[in-house]
Amino acid sequence: MIIVERKSLEALEEMTKDCGRLLVLGCETCSAMCLAGGRRQVAELASAIRMERKMSQNQDEVIEDAIARQCESEFIDHVKDRVAGCDAVLSLACGAGVQTMAHTFPDVLILPAVDTKFIGSEAERGVWKEMCMACGDCVLGRTAGICPVTRCAKGLLNGACGGASEGKCEVGKERPCAWQEIYHALKRLNMLHYLKEKPQVKNWPVHPGKVVREDLREGEATTGD
Amino acid sequence: MQDNTTNIKHNDYPPCKAACPILTDAREYVQLIAERRHEEAFASIRKLNPLPSVCGRICTHPCEAACRRGQVDEPIAIATLKRFACDGSWKDQYRGALPAKPSGHKVAVVGSGPAGMAAAHDLALLGHDVTILEALPILGGMLRVGVPAYRLPKDVLDEEIRAILALGIEAKTGVRLGEDIKLAELFEQGYKAVFLAIGAHKDRKLGIPGEDALAGVVSAVSFLREVNQEQNPKVGDKVAVIGGGNTAVDSARSARRLGANEVHMVYRRTLEEMPAAQQEIEDAVREGVQTSYLTSPLEILGKDGKVTGLKCIKNELGEPDASGRRSPKPVPGSEFSLDVDMVIAAIGQVPDSSFIAEEIEVTDRRKQIIVDGAYTLVTTQPGVFAGGDAVTGPATVVEAISAGKRAAISIDLYLRGEPFPSSESAEAKKPAMLSSSLIDKTRKFPRCGKQGIPINQRLKGFDEVDAVLSEDLATKEALRCLHCYMGAQVDREKCVSCLTCVRVCPLGIPATSKMGEITIDPFACQACGMCALECPVRAIEINLHSRGELAQQVEESAGSNQDGAILGFFDYHGDFGAGDVTSLRENHPSITPLFLFGLRRIDTSHLLTAFECGADGVLLATCRPDADPFPGETDRLKRRVNDARSVLDFLGLDGDRLQVVDMPERGLFDEGQITEVMKTITELGPSPLR
Amino acid sequence: MSLREALASGKFVITAEVAPGKGTEVEHLLEDAAVIKERVDAVNVTDLQSSVMRLGSMAFSHLLTEIGVDPVFQVTCRDRNCLALQSDLLSAWALGIKNVLALTGDHPVLGDHPKARPVFELDSVSLLDVIGKLNSGVDMVGNELKGTPDFLAGAVVNPGADNEAAMDLQIMKMESKIEAGAKFFQTQGVYDLDAFEKFMKRIEGLDTKVLVGIILLKSVGMARFMNKNVSGVFVPEPFVQEIKAAEDKAQASKDIAVRLIKGMKDLCDGVHIMALGWESKIPAILDEVGI
Repeated sequence: MIIVERKSLEALEEMTKDCGRLLVLGCETCSAMCLAGGRRQVAELASAIRMERKMSQNQDEVIEDAIARQCESEFIDHVKDRVAGCDAVLSLACGAGVQTMAHTFPDVLILPAVDTKFIGSEAERGVWKEMCMACGDCVLGRTAGICPVTRCAKGLLNGACGGASEGKCEVGKERPCAWQEIYHALKRLNMLHYLKEKPQVKNWPVHPGKVVREDLREGEATTGD
Repeated sequence: MQDNTTNIKHNDYPPCKAACPILTDAREYVQLIAERRHEEAFASIRKLNPLPSVCGRICTHPCEAACRRGQVDEPIAIATLKRFACDGSWKDQYRGALPAKPSGHKVAVVGSGPAGMAAAHDLALLGHDVTILEALPILGGMLRVGVPAYRLPKDVLDEEIRAILALGIEAKTGVRLGEDIKLAELFEQGYKAVFLAIGAHKDRKLGIPGEDALAGVVSAVSFLREVNQEQNPKVGDKVAVIGGGNTAVDSARSARRLGANEVHMVYRRTLEEMPAAQQEIEDAVREGVQTSYLTSPLEILGKDGKVTGLKCIKNELGEPDASGRRSPKPVPGSEFSLDVDMVIAAIGQVPDSSFIAEEIEVTDRRKQIIVDGAYTLVTTQPGVFAGGDAVTGPATVVEAISAGKRAAISIDLYLRGEPFPSSESAEAKKPAMLSSSLIDKTRKFPRCGKQGIPINQRLKGFDEVDAVLSEDLATKEALRCLHCYMGAQVDREKCVSCLTCVRVCPLGIPATSKMGEITIDPFACQACGMCALECPVRAIEINLHSRGELAQQVEESAGSNQDGAILGFFDYHGDFGAGDVTSLRENHPSITPLFLFGLRRIDTSHLLTAFECGADGVLLATCRPDADPFPGETDRLKRRVNDARSVLDFLGLDGDRLQVVDMPERGLFDEGQITEVMKTITELGPSPLR
Repeated sequence: MSLREALASGKFVITAEVAPGKGTEVEHLLEDAAVIKERVDAVNVTDLQSSVMRLGSMAFSHLLTEIGVDPVFQVTCRDRNCLALQSDLLSAWALGIKNVLALTGDHPVLGDHPKARPVFELDSVSLLDVIGKLNSGVDMVGNELKGTPDFLAGAVVNPGADNEAAMDLQIMKMESKIEAGAKFFQTQGVYDLDAFEKFMKRIEGLDTKVLVGIILLKSVGMARFMNKNVSGVFVPEPFVQEIKAAEDKAQASKDIAVRLIKGMKDLCDGVHIMALGWESKIPAILDEVGI
């Protein structure tokens, strides 16, 4: 899932201080799952902003709500009246949610309350790790299910750089060398020969990315660039 | 089975409530005692049960057998807590419901035992004009003449009967139905319905030689009747009591009190099959009663018309009989004699229905009044209802009360010309079992059950043997409750399967399905509150201190105090009494106390809300880890407090307005610590958000 | 004799290494190079070594050609995408640079611009592959070149990998590099003769030339730093004590280097001396070794 992390209160205060009537809006899929953007976090954040405003004699109201996903117009529809009644929305959604909201409400300022970090998973309670950077050209089949693009600090495709010591990456002692992990995993699968194939070079996609599925599209088929 | 009033399925009841014939909400009053709300605890019991103090003493408490705590260590001492709730002076404050508008219908209740009393009480509340007819000169039925005073003091019974009669019920004593007045005559006198609750006051015969011919052979019912009317019946020096029920034990213990030096209880099976309450048997043994198990009487021996002994034979247990108990089989050649000069026969009672047998249908052998369906208690004759021991044979007080209450419902429906409720039989529900891992993870706390007076003092007379619990002990005992079915419920609509509940549950209860559906076993959950609190999308609600309820309390409390508002959270698990709460309010009026089952359920947002509503400070008094059922969760609370503090610091409100203290070993707070905390908060001045 | 010729001749090849500094000052470095010019077959020029922003490798390599030194142009994949790398390689050839050492490069986080965006679009292996393509007259995607370079491509290998996985990965990668066109290898600094001998045994049969790396130990502090921070380099304690006890540290350092080169010269094809500013001491070392 997409992992997000809330911005500091200082940053959020700066961002919202002059924005008028504010809706703090949770996003209850990825953001909620990484315990950054559900109703619970909305309540805390809204409370802090309300107190801040009260203390600085700011009369503008702060209201709160949450929807299932801010990246889907059907869900956004449920709060359109509340959004319309506000000058700004502080969105606890990932970048996709914030942008979908901004696209849906061009007259309302949509502000991001969280930093979208990566596609990852929860390693333990309170620890999320990056697992995928959506490079668009998955190599996991050759690397025993460990992504070198994401988990090797250099994103190398043709083996270890040699900078690791004691199995840890040169960029930090807390990071395992992904290539040594891949080595062990491939060895276990008896697939070490994958490392001896001809040099791999990544195909980098053009951003912004777009996936077009003609079999699913409605209306006239296009090339979808 | 459906509860008529609430339509809640039986399955959703906590096991203690489901086990009670009158569906007493034991969980509710146990919790109220834990909350030091004893008056409400009493009200909770009394609203359903017109004989609460009686039940607090002699109920066989099936609730305890069902209690889930019993699977972990020992059940909550529910009966003892009921006694506590019913013995305090707070019960004088109780104002029961007033009778409904008079219906104009006259109802006769025949018999003033628990069934009759309960029926009379409920019928009176429903607005009917109730008259009780009692054959004996005194009211109370078996409670009066069957149960000895050392178990149920007479004044306790008097008081409860008085309260029932105060609803405007007329009681006529010394009136025996069938003898002094015929059933038909009652209808002629304008009674529209009659409830027969005549009990089972006739002892069954032993059917052995010597039973009728010798002086010194008595029936338990007549013996106890004399005992209970303070006629001090003469007892022998050595007494044999035949039988294994509560009547037998009552007879044996009474005989000891009346001077018998040796009392033998002769029972044909073993202790395991004995129908008397375990506690009673233990008490009897402690009081010097001897037991002869696997022994059947063959003949009462006598000389000069007086009992000189009891010839017995030893048994062994054979195949299970119809009742499921293994039936005793005599061992040939094992005859022996007990040297006794008195024999009390206590092998069971039957209703004394001979007086009314011509007017109402009874069973052939046991002479029990026949009813059509255990639920409606309708007899073969229109307008006549019957219940209690007269229908079932000797049973427990709470079953009798239950019958009385059901009769009241049926009679009311009958009088109003409405159909009777469906009398589908309640399907016996298998008690849910906790997994061994859950039992391992559940913290054990020792039970504080009955507190008895010393044995040497007991035998001096008929003073009550059990003492009432102190408030300290009662609350401590009540705090052992596992809050069955008050725990977490997942709202499937809202749940996003984030697994937070799975990760935070200290008992490992939430389960996941392949497709991500989370389920929380409502029986296993102990309502610790962690999942409901940590759930990011608030898809989990909990009955014990729901999040919304807590938020509302915080809002109201934080905004209410004019003297500088400090919100004080205290844990019910601390060792304090109602008096400590009073003195907190007196000595520290600026602290508005809020009590919780575990402070761990306070969320960062609750803390922030308090300040948003203008609190100058928030004080969190955590209970000592040794009293906390979930001591491992205090750490999470402290981290949330740190979070809230950092928000306060960021706002310039100062995180020091939020203080955590430990509750002392005894009492609500440590004066020195509170003073210091108050000083810190006061020095920060009034909150700018006030 | 150029490096290519030296390698082809079968002689014991000697290379050294210079690191351009931060700024435009190059005279000092050229002087250092001049000192050893007659004694070495080539001089490597590092490419923003340790991810510290410095003067570029290509420019200094070119300056070396002007004073008659055959440079080894070190190219890392850290800072350039495939367009820039190919372009720089062509440029280098145009500036008279004939030897390239292809490296992956350190992560920027280790250097003085830790927030810099790392590129690593190619790595050492794919870079060698690209060099091979350029040498064959096409670019990476197969477009023909007008004018074709003929680089002698080399790579690095670290014989001191600290665990079996790392060592296996090193050797597999070494094979890939040879496959991709690496004609020679310069190793990370080696202090452990036994480990090196074992390493050379493992790669027996690989068709390539190995120049063992010698880092002059300048101080105890440097030894400790490398042990702690430089992957695959381990200075055994006796060497540390030797430096510590010596009155003349430089002499002790020289002595150690001499012993190491003597010990390893029959195991491999040459030596790559990383003097780290002590280039002036190289001739004396070589004298003592007798090469």
